Amino acid sequence: MRRHTRRVFNLCYRFTGNSTESEDLSQEVFLRIYRTLGSYRPAFGAFPTWLTSVTRNLLVDHYRRTRRDRITDSIDDAMPVLEEKHSSSRTPDKLAQESELSAQLQVGLGKLSPDLREAVILRDLQGLEYNEIQVVLQVPEGTVKSRINRGRIELARILEEMGLKPE
Amino acid sequence: MSWNCSITEERLSDSLEGLLSREDAAAFSAHTAGCADCRTLLAQVGPLVQRMQRMEMVEEPAHLSARILDATLGPRKTKAVWERFAGWAVGLMQPRVVMGFATAAASFVIVLHTAGVTPGKIKRADLSPGNVLRAANRQVHLTYARGVKFVNDLRVVYEIQSRLQPEPAPVNAPVHQQAPEQQTQPSDSNPQQKTETQPGHSQVHGGTMLASLVTDSFMRRSR
Repeated sequence: MRRHTRRVFNLCYRFTGNSTESEDLSQEVFLRIYRTLGSYRPAFGAFPTWLTSVTRNLLVDHYRRTRRDRITDSIDDAMPVLEEKHSSSRTPDKLAQESELSAQLQVGLGKLSPDLREAVILRDLQGLEYNEIQVVLQVPEGTVKSRINRGRIELARILEEMGLKPE
Repeated sequence: MSWNCSITEERLSDSLEGLLSREDAAAFSAHTAGCADCRTLLAQVGPLVQRMQRMEMVEEPAHLSARILDATLGPRKTKAVWERFAGWAVGLMQPRVVMGFATAAASFVIVLHTAGVTPGKIKRADLSPGNVLRAANRQVHLTYARGVKFVNDLRVVYEIQSRLQPEPAPVNAPVHQQAPEQQTQPSDSNPQQKTETQPGHSQVHGGTMLASLVTDSFMRRSR
């Protein structure tokens, strides 16, 4: 349960960049899962893939619903800090530096178009395979690869404009 | 196919994930080596992808799981303090738990008794590490000495018992001489017959051996 909650929350958070919204969306995802659990078939893919599909569909709905009043350029200062693995030997200075880089990366993700953003998030932040992303996004594998590639290049350019060099 | 900047951009992710064929990889490397723009793009995207893939998941708020469970399964009834305590007490009153406690207490008492500890006579000075160590050392040596004494006593008793028993018949004695006797005599009269045939020899032999053994034992102990 905790593992799935974290996965869903992360997907929502990376997509929206807002912790409170992500909490509400995560809850909504699990409510939807709970109500439609009887209709789940193995043909939909593994359960985590199905969970990701439901989350992604909800995120798309949410994106369309809030298109008018969303300001993608601003980001909440109080958002959670992204952390890196193997962080045993980090000094406070380095920690602060990394948290700033992570925040900028989240801003960059927010500036990507939704199609590219979700592809990059699913591949690079959620670690899904191409065929799993294909099931989640319901598009051919070639499109998945193309979106991921364009998303990465676009994100790198945005971060370059922001003066950020992810070393 | 002539490799150009457009193809490099298209196949960038394939190159980063090692999905290019050998020929394409060679063409990709050759092009980026000679094209400053593509080299810059590669230097931007490569570390970015690595960095994102190294990123740990954000920790969800601690109350999120409970909130989701409340929303799906309904709010859970929170127990009062006394109810929680009662739950613990009921758990502790299980026969298995009680038996476990009783066994542990009995083992503790046995260990205390063996160690010669009398709880009523313990003083504060006895609890200092040095005194505890000395007492434990003394107790170990006493227990060892008692054990040695017990084993020696047992040995003496067994030696006496073995010497007092009549000597077994020689192995090469003819069997056919006793066979008719066994056939004619009833089986319950055999021991009596045997004791009657050599009474003096057994008693004299046993008494002599006993005297010599007791003397030996006394001499050993006095030494």
